[in-house]
Amino acid sequence: MKIRASLTRRVIGRATTVTAGIAISALALSALPANAANDPGVTDSEIVLGMQLPQTGPASPGYNKVDDAMRAYFDYVNSKGGVYGRKIRLEVKDDTYKTGLTITTASSLINKEKVFAFIGSVGTQTHLSVVKDINRRGIPDLFVNSGYSGLYTTPSKYPTTFGGLGTYVSEAKILGKYMKATFTTEKIGILYQTDDFGRNTVAGLATAGYTFEARKTAATFVAGTQAGGLDAQMTQLKDNNVDVVVVGAVASAYAAAVASANKIGYKPKKWVVISVGSDATTFQTILYTKGIPLASSAALLAGTITSSHAPAPSDATDEFVIAFKKINTDFNKGPDKNWDNNVLQGMNIAYQMTELLVNVGKTGVTRKNVISYLEKNGSSITSAGFAPLGYSATSHVAYTGFWVGAYDATTALKPVGATRQMWTTDSDAGPVTELTWTRPAIGADSLPKGFSAK
Amino acid sequence: MKTLNVRKSLAIVSAAALLVGATALAIPTAGAAAAAPTCKTDVKTNVETCTGALSNGAVYEIRVPHANFHGSMYFWAHGFRPTYAYPGYTPPNGKTVEELTPFSANTGKNITSQMLASGRAVAAFDRKTNGGYNWNAAESIPLMKELVDIAKAKYASSLKKVIIYGSSGAGPLITGFNETYPGVADASGMMAGATNVSAALRTGCDLFYLLSVFADPNIKGCAAFGAAKGVNGHMLALQQLGLAGAVLTAWSKNLGAPALEYPAAIKPYGIPQRSALLLIGLLGGLPTKSSHMDGITTNTVIAEQSINSTVAILENFQDALGTATFTGQSIGEITGAGFYDNTKTDFSSLLTDEDAARFNLGLSGDDGINLMLGALKAAPRITGTPASVANYANLYQPTYASTTPMVLLSNEADRLVLVGNAVQYNDRAQAAYQARLDKWNAQTGVKKGAKPQPNTLSIYAITPETYTKYTAAGLPDLAGAPAVSGVGHQSFTVKQSMTWVALMEISAYAGRVPSATVAQKYLAKTPYLSSDLDFRPGELKYEK
Repeated sequence: MKIRASLTRRVIGRATTVTAGIAISALALSALPANAANDPGVTDSEIVLGMQLPQTGPASPGYNKVDDAMRAYFDYVNSKGGVYGRKIRLEVKDDTYKTGLTITTASSLINKEKVFAFIGSVGTQTHLSVVKDINRRGIPDLFVNSGYSGLYTTPSKYPTTFGGLGTYVSEAKILGKYMKATFTTEKIGILYQTDDFGRNTVAGLATAGYTFEARKTAATFVAGTQAGGLDAQMTQLKDNNVDVVVVGAVASAYAAAVASANKIGYKPKKWVVISVGSDATTFQTILYTKGIPLASSAALLAGTITSSHAPAPSDATDEFVIAFKKINTDFNKGPDKNWDNNVLQGMNIAYQMTELLVNVGKTGVTRKNVISYLEKNGSSITSAGFAPLGYSATSHVAYTGFWVGAYDATTALKPVGATRQMWTTDSDAGPVTELTWTRPAIGADSLPKGFSAK
Repeated sequence: MKTLNVRKSLAIVSAAALLVGATALAIPTAGAAAAAPTCKTDVKTNVETCTGALSNGAVYEIRVPHANFHGSMYFWAHGFRPTYAYPGYTPPNGKTVEELTPFSANTGKNITSQMLASGRAVAAFDRKTNGGYNWNAAESIPLMKELVDIAKAKYASSLKKVIIYGSSGAGPLITGFNETYPGVADASGMMAGATNVSAALRTGCDLFYLLSVFADPNIKGCAAFGAAKGVNGHMLALQQLGLAGAVLTAWSKNLGAPALEYPAAIKPYGIPQRSALLLIGLLGGLPTKSSHMDGITTNTVIAEQSINSTVAILENFQDALGTATFTGQSIGEITGAGFYDNTKTDFSSLLTDEDAARFNLGLSGDDGINLMLGALKAAPRITGTPASVANYANLYQPTYASTTPMVLLSNEADRLVLVGNAVQYNDRAQAAYQARLDKWNAQTGVKKGAKPQPNTLSIYAITPETYTKYTAAGLPDLAGAPAVSGVGHQSFTVKQSMTWVALMEISAYAGRVPSATVAQKYLAKTPYLSSDLDFRPGELKYEK
C-alpha cells in the first residue's frame, strides 16, 4: 500500500461553523500557529535537531561520546551567533541500542521535540527500525552513523536518509585490495555477524576476490550473542590454520574475538577489521570491563589493520584535528571529553550540518530544500574527510574513499605505508582506484565557508 | 519460554472476531414496520429508556438523559459473536441488547453512564437470530436504519445529530451504512474496526499454513474451513484451532529452544522453534508487543529484545488464530470451501528488510532467515477452489466514497483485529478525500458543489514504553495485569473511549473531522492516546 496521507498536512484548515458549545471551542483551537509556514523545528531564532544513540548500556562505550561532541561544536557555532542568527539545539535520546526503544525515542523526537531533522543517529539495527517511518514523514535523516550500504544506495527506498560514514562494502573492497597486495601466501579467514554488517563485508571482500568456506574459513555469529564469547568461532579458524582474520562485526565482537583467541592460544598473524569494529575507545572499554587493563588491551589492538575516511585523531598536524580538539576542550560538557575518534566524528558531522545550513541559505531551511540541496550539491560539502561525499540523486552514500592504517602500541592509527594513501571505490562491483582529491581547507575560525550569523 | 502456557484454545472466542456478512452489501428491504417503543423515565435521573423490537423481531434500547441532553444520539453496533454454543459460551439470543455502548474487555465496563452523564443519548439493537453469519452487514444495515428512524420519530425536536459507531466485526456495518444511507449519520466511528476482512483473513490463513510447514503437516487451516456447514463445520474448524494450539503449546516449552523438526530439509541446521515462531509472526504482521510483553525489556532469561517480542507473538498468536478460525469458517460457508489459495504468495516479500534487521538475533541471523525462507519457498502450497477463490475476492470492501466523518480508535497492539486495518482504512480514505479535493480544485470558474472536507481521523491507544514484569524465576509474568493501554481487543480506558466519543461529536457538528490542532488538544489530555496523527503502528500484509 503506497498511498500515504499526512493528516497534519491535509486536515489543517478552518473549522466549519458549528452549533454545539463543544465545537465552538474546537473552532478557537484550530487557529494556525504563527510560524505555520516553517517546517517543524525551525523558527527565526532556532533550529532543533534530533539524534538517538546508545548513551548507556553494553553498546554505548565510545559511541556515547559522539552526541556530546556534536553538541560541543553546535555550542561553538551558537557562540558565534548561530547560523543566520538561528541557534542550533541538539535533542538527544538514549535508545540503549534496543530497537523497540528506538521506536519510542524517535517518536518522542518527532512529536514532542518537533525536530527539523535527525542527524548522526548511531546504529544499523536501531536505525533500520525507524528509518522507514522517518522517511515516510519526509524528515531529513542526515549523516547517519552506520556504514550499511542498504540505507544509502537506493534513494528511492529511503529518500531522506544520507550516510555519515563510508559503506562497509566499499571499506571491505579497499581493505581487500590491500590484503591481496600484502598477504600473498597467508590463509585468509573471516569472522562476521550474520546480518547487514557482515553481509556488506562479505560482499565487499568478494569483489576483491575473496571467498570463504562455511564452517572452515568463515566463522559466523548472530549479532548480540558475542557477550558469551566467541571461543567456538576462534577455535574453528585456528583449526583451519587461518593466518589473517578479517572481522566484519561491531567492536564488542572484535573485543570478544580477541579475548577468545587469547584464551585458546590462537595468535593470527593479523587482524583486519572494518573500522566500526576497531574503534580503540570501544575496544579498550569493553575489554576493561572484562578485567583487561588498558595497557594490555592497547597491546592486543596493536598491529590491527583497519581503514578510515578521516584523519586519525592522533594526527596532531591535521588542521581539522587541531581545530576540533580546541573546540572540544572549550565547549564539550559531556562526562568523557577525552579526545578520540568518536569525538572527531561527532565534531565532523556537526561541522557538515552547519555547512549544509549555511549553504541552503537563511530562507531555505526547509526539509525539502535540505534533501534537494544534498542530492544536487551535497558532494561539495566539506569536512575532515579525505574523500568527497558521494551524495547525488542516485546515491546517498557518504565517504567514497578510505586510507588503510594499523594501530600502534599507543592506539594511534598510522598509515600502513610511508604516507597516507587514499583509495576510492563504489558500493557495488566497481574497481578500487587511487583517489587524487584534495580536501578543502577548514573555514576561517573553524566555521564553514560562508558562515554568517546574520 | 519454559513455562509459558498459551491460553486454552477456546477462551479466545469470547472476544470479538471478524466477519463480513455477504459477498456484497445487497441490502434487503426492511420488513414490516416496527412497533412504537415502550418508554419509561426514571424520575430520579430523568433518563428515559425506550425499548422495542425492530421489524424482524430484534430488540433495541434507547436511553435519553433529558436533564442535559444536547442533541447527539449514538447508535452502537458491537462486534462479531460466534454462531454456536460451546462450553462457557452462549450465542446472543436477541432477547436483550448485549451492549448499549462500547464495552472494554480489559476493564469489564461500558461507558453508558459516562455518556448519559455528559448529555449524550445512546441506542443499540441486537440480533434476533443467533451467531456469526447472521450478524452481518446485509442484515444489520437496514435494521440500524430502522432504529435511527424510530429514534428520530420519537425525539423529532431534540435529536440533532446521529452518530453511528461500532466495534470490530461491525466495521462493514458502519462503512456500509454510510454508503447505503448517505447523509443519515452526521458522523461515525469504528473501534478496533475490521475494515478489510479479506486481507485480514488471508493473513490468518497464512498463520495456519506456516505452522503446518514448520511444525505440523496435519494442520489444514483455512483449507478445511467451509467444507461443512452448521455445527459440524464449526466443530471441524475448531479441530484446526486445536492442532495449531498444540503446536504453540509445544513451542512455548523449553524456551522455544528445541530445533525445528519440519521441514525435513532444515532439520539438520538446528534452528530453534522460537525463530520460526518469530518469523511466522512477522510474516503475518502480528504485534511484537502483547498484553505482558513490551518488546524491549530484557533479563537473564529474555536475553534480547527480539526474544521479548517472540514471547509477545506467542501471547498474541492463539487469539489471532481464533479470529481466523471463526472468521474463516463463517466466510467459508458463504464463499464455499477452498477460498484460500497461496500458490502465488511470495512469503519472502512479507518479511520487511527492517524487521529482518531489527529481529535478526531472534530469527537466528541471516543464516536462519535464509534457511527458513528457503524451506518455505520449497514447501507445497495450498491450491484453492476457483469458484470459492473468486467469491472470496469479491467480499465487501469499503468504497471510501462516503463523506460522512469517520473517527477510528485502535490499540497499537490489538491481537484480534490487527491495527493495520485502521492504518489501511485511513490511508485509503485520506487518498479518496484528496482525490475529491483535487477534482474540486481543478474546476475552472465558479466551483460547483461544496468544497470537500477531511472526513477521516484515526487515533491510537499506545502502550507504556516498558511494562514487562518477571517472576522470581526470571520468566515473564504472563498472568498478571495486562498493560494499562494499547493492548488487547476492544480494550480501552473510559477516558480513551470518551475522547473518541467527543471527537465523533465534534465531527458531527462540524461536518468534518477535527483539525489536527483540535484533535491533538483532546488527545494530549487523554493518557496513552497518541497525539501523533501520522502514527502508523502496523500495516496489513495484503491489499485485499
